[in-house]
Amino acid sequence: MVTTYIHKFFWFSGLVLLQVLILNNVHIGGYATPFLYVYFILKFESGVSRNELMLWGFLLGFVIDTFSNTPGMNAAAAVLLAFVRPLFLGLFAPRDGLENVSPSFKSMGNSSFIKYLIACVFIHHMALLTIEFFSFTSASALLLRMVFSTLLTVTCIMAVEGVKK
Amino acid sequence: MRNLLNFLIRYNYWFLFVLLETASFVLLFRFNHYQQSVYFTSANVVAGKVYEISGGISSYFYLKSTNQDLLDRNIYLERQVSTLKKALKENQVDSLEIDRIANALGDNNKIFKAHVINNSLNQVDNYITLDKGSSDGIRPEMGVVGGGGVVGIVYMTSPKYSVVISVLNTKSSISCKIKGSEYFGYLKWEHGDSRYAYLKDLPRHAEFNLGDTVITSGYSNVFPEGIMVGTVDDMSDSNDGLSYLLKIKLATNFGRISDVRVISALGREEQTELEGRSVK
Repeated sequence: MVTTYIHKFFWFSGLVLLQVLILNNVHIGGYATPFLYVYFILKFESGVSRNELMLWGFLLGFVIDTFSNTPGMNAAAAVLLAFVRPLFLGLFAPRDGLENVSPSFKSMGNSSFIKYLIACVFIHHMALLTIEFFSFTSASALLLRMVFSTLLTVTCIMAVEGVKK
Repeated sequence: MRNLLNFLIRYNYWFLFVLLETASFVLLFRFNHYQQSVYFTSANVVAGKVYEISGGISSYFYLKSTNQDLLDRNIYLERQVSTLKKALKENQVDSLEIDRIANALGDNNKIFKAHVINNSLNQVDNYITLDKGSSDGIRPEMGVVGGGGVVGIVYMTSPKYSVVISVLNTKSSISCKIKGSEYFGYLKWEHGDSRYAYLKDLPRHAEFNLGDTVITSGYSNVFPEGIMVGTVDDMSDSNDGLSYLLKIKLATNFGRISDVRVISALGREEQTELEGRSVK
């Protein structure tokens, strides 16, 4: 129990530092920014309660916000992601159901895991970027940013998964 | 009651969700100026629209008194117009002046006021000095117009002063025409009397009468068309017999000009450049 929390703590700090020090400065073509920190939420065990996950999400988003001077934005998006994650997990998980395991290529199967990633990441980015733009006057730019950032984040997560294996 | 409690317990994560999102948005609006300003702007848009509609409706109630005011104003203005018209008729030369100013004020021209600080009449080449210069926007080759009519063309400028080639200068040559016909010639001064100059190169078939008004033709673009130059005083044939030589009584009294206007015709460079290219 304690080891899992220490383990999580390291992932948490590592992802926050990676996000605020490096990835926040990435703007490929002015559109795509990877928000890799959602990996922390996506990799939570499937058995975790919604409330706990939402608290984690709020904490994570809040820390990211504090570093990047955007109070509330990442927190709101991360809480939303934590809230809808069980839904997507149920939607894309194999029929026989998941035990208390962390979602991955191995535990979910390749296509399900990718669908799960894309759905979750897109929801998160949609919320985050909409809050950031806070208007629909430049809807096309907003949409482009959502799509390209989602692609980039998903690619990054799959790369991390590949390295971990 | 138990069902309600069960319900609340079962969906407790909804409450946490709403709570956390509320906290996030409170942070968002509390600390981010952009979102804050947009929020208040949209609120203002609503308020503004409401006021606009209410103002539009209430304005109908004041239509009657507004109408009365306009009527009074109309009567007053009509009286003024008739008085002014009478004054205009009494003073025909001035009516030309008004025409000319109205023309000169056309969108293509800029007008600067200037004061004559030096003037001469009795040299062969007379120059006028003005108290405005390049720092006031005056450039060489701008036209200068006095109360009566054409005065000359700006020759040189310093930051604060400018020198004008007066009409009373053998170098001066201004394109003119008889008012009411399109025949044109150029105005030359043959030293001597400062009240008269000569209009040369007017074709022999041109029709005119003694006493006709001579105005600028606008061809050179130094002066806009229609500025008063003078009246035809006498006529004779030119030396070669191919054209008329008209003696013009100048409208400007060069003996007492004090305030003049400098006219800058926009687009002059363009015309000059184009004409220069066509000559090559």
